[in-house]
Amino acid sequence: MIRFSHVSKSFPGVKALDDVSFEVAKGEVRALVGENGAGKSTLLNILHGVHTEYEGSVEIDGQEVHFRSAQDAIEFGIAKVHQEINLIPELSVGQNITLGYEPRRGLFIDYDKLHEQANAILDRLNCRLRSEDSLKNLSAGELQMVSIAKALFHKAKVISLDEPTASLSTQEVKRLFEIIRELKANGITILYVSHRLDEIFELTDTVTVLRDGCYMGTYRVGEITREQLIKHMVGRDVSAFAVRKRPRCFTDEVVLGVKDLSVEPTFRNVSFKLRRGEILGFAGLVGSKRTDVVRAIFGADRKTGGEVYIRGHKVEISSPEEGLSHGIGLIPEERKTQGFVKTLNNADNMALTSLRKFIRRGFVSHAAKDENCEKLGRAVNLNITDPSYPTQKLSGGNQQKVVLAKWLASDADILIFDEPTKGVDVGAKEEIYGLIEDLVAQGKSVIMVSSELPEIIGMSDRVLVMSEGRIVKELDHTELTEERILYYAMGEQQ
Amino acid sequence: MSKAKRRRGAFREMGIVIALAVLFAIFTALDLSFISIYNVLDIIKHSTINGLLAIGITFAILTGGNDLSIGSIFAVVIVVTGKILVAGVHSVLASLIGIAVGFLLGLVNGTLVAKLKLQPFVATLGAMSMYRGVAYVITGGWPVLKIPKEFRQMIEGTVFSYVPKSIFLLIGFAIICHIVLKYTPFGSYVYAMGGNEEATRLSGVNVDKHKILAYGMVGIGAALAGLVMLARLGTGEPTAGQGYELDAIAAAAIGGASLAGGKGTVIGSFLGAILLSTLKVGLIVTGVDTFYQYIATGIIIVLAAYFEYLQSKLYSKSLIAD
Repeated sequence: MIRFSHVSKSFPGVKALDDVSFEVAKGEVRALVGENGAGKSTLLNILHGVHTEYEGSVEIDGQEVHFRSAQDAIEFGIAKVHQEINLIPELSVGQNITLGYEPRRGLFIDYDKLHEQANAILDRLNCRLRSEDSLKNLSAGELQMVSIAKALFHKAKVISLDEPTASLSTQEVKRLFEIIRELKANGITILYVSHRLDEIFELTDTVTVLRDGCYMGTYRVGEITREQLIKHMVGRDVSAFAVRKRPRCFTDEVVLGVKDLSVEPTFRNVSFKLRRGEILGFAGLVGSKRTDVVRAIFGADRKTGGEVYIRGHKVEISSPEEGLSHGIGLIPEERKTQGFVKTLNNADNMALTSLRKFIRRGFVSHAAKDENCEKLGRAVNLNITDPSYPTQKLSGGNQQKVVLAKWLASDADILIFDEPTKGVDVGAKEEIYGLIEDLVAQGKSVIMVSSELPEIIGMSDRVLVMSEGRIVKELDHTELTEERILYYAMGEQQ
Repeated sequence: MSKAKRRRGAFREMGIVIALAVLFAIFTALDLSFISIYNVLDIIKHSTINGLLAIGITFAILTGGNDLSIGSIFAVVIVVTGKILVAGVHSVLASLIGIAVGFLLGLVNGTLVAKLKLQPFVATLGAMSMYRGVAYVITGGWPVLKIPKEFRQMIEGTVFSYVPKSIFLLIGFAIICHIVLKYTPFGSYVYAMGGNEEATRLSGVNVDKHKILAYGMVGIGAALAGLVMLARLGTGEPTAGQGYELDAIAAAAIGGASLAGGKGTVIGSFLGAILLSTLKVGLIVTGVDTFYQYIATGIIIVLAAYFEYLQSKLYSKSLIAD
């Protein structure tokens, strides 16, 4: 049915897919698994005509296809039910299903026919929804039904689902699985991407493993154990550069205590302690709410319950301003939207956390800011330390160093890194690891949220594994393996 | 020090100065008498009210917002100050009260934008109507007449027999605002939040507080402009200042302020106001029909926007070449 032959795809600096070849049979439910960055999304994007330039070939029903656009793929019968569902809330269910292909009568949309067609499909899915319903009050699961109906409307032969259960209730998941089995019975091929191994073992026939852009094999679900599957997913050497180059330096002094912290309804009752000089890793899958926890500690989001203690004293932090005044700094995940200001130069970005320090004789001294920029620029090994250089024009890694420098300029001694090396090239990664080590060597304390397991394993003194808004396991650095972290992150027992 | 930034900022302001020089050359070619000290003073005098408004509104524009209510704040300040002057309050005290009223109305705008998270355009559109209504209510729709001479002398009197004192008010306000924006943490935060409000907030900056204050500065600019108007006319009209917000925005835009926020200077907005006045005075002096003023003003605004675009493209190129 689908045959990938020697498919490779490169992005600047990374090989996202490397000579991937495999087949999927008609009417098969095939799971696609791998770590973040293994190449699953890239492969699906090629199949769906999102990435139009790649090496190798894709055949469907023995015929080579090379889609020029997502539209091409849809018209050929390749549909996707997306993580972020692509529907228009202002339109009705039927209008969404038929969007762009509405039946017409002359110049006008033939609404009778439109609803008739859409309802016929909804009936096929045994769905209570009606074409005339408004999209506004539908649950995540119902929205997914609409997406699936839309795929059927386009006479899809292949439907891919990327983390479809991430926001569904248990009931809705059950319903989704029934529908997927019906689709399969109708000869539709399903590609199913999920991090949740339970679902894979319950639902799919076969599972294909990708790792670092390479094809690792396809296995029948009945013939492989959970442990073996995880091993195939992560079985590479831990990257050599994410290792501690200095002696560990954590002490017994607790600098930050978090007790039953909650931000309803996102997460609830998170408790942990951070020690002076420690690098505390936060591991978990995308969506496990690690970012939400650290944002609440810093004051970026309001907590709804729980207590935060700084060096044993209870504090109330309800804004980043208060977070900073208690010595907490956050280097956020989204550099462009949250990390630096695109209209400012290096000197101004680096001074933003601590402008009062640059006041001389009552006024902000630009000379003092420039000096600060040059000093910190050297400390973080910024490639362009020119204070007047616009931060926006730097590479991702260097922008990250500017954001880090901004916090070094402040008095913060509890630094939270959220995905510190996201979108950062290999060389800069190593430098950022070195800088984090410098921080703890100076007696500061670090929380590091990361989805890159080698980074978590290589850098952390201790790791908290989160799953669905809860800390499910604490691991000491001596017990860290990728298999073990994934095991807990994927929601295995508590 | 900030070489590239200076180069860039200076480039922009040089651009307006060159445009001013070109306008002067054209008007002088059309009418030799144009280039005289009296005309230059006339132009500055003509630009005083718009200049004060433009400098004030620059604060809101820099935060990424705007303020459509300045014409109405202007009117409220005029009628309030007028009323208390007529009631016999001392000129200086009355002026200070007028400024305080403008500042407070600005703070109200800032609060609507920062705390209620309303879009600045909509919030100040509402404020525009509310404050205008307040101005009418205060006077019952009638103008405030017989503004005392002392007050008029204090603001509109001349020194050196021809230079109106209000010019110094404009220049003084410009200098103070320039210093505030460039050399205080508040000024830095105004620029930063206009470029990226969330990143600024996550740097531990109290964004709301500084945003409210920025709108307060807009109110002060409108109040000062109102005092000048009151002194000039000698009557306080509740209808005064309608449409002035657009001239002020135009001046700021010509001066290089980006309506997206984060970019712009006091000097730019000041020069923008001067440029608009030069155009108007020049067209009057050379006897061009007033209707053409609108066309000319529009062309200048569009040209300035295009110039801005070209300049940012050039700037990007120069960085890559580095």
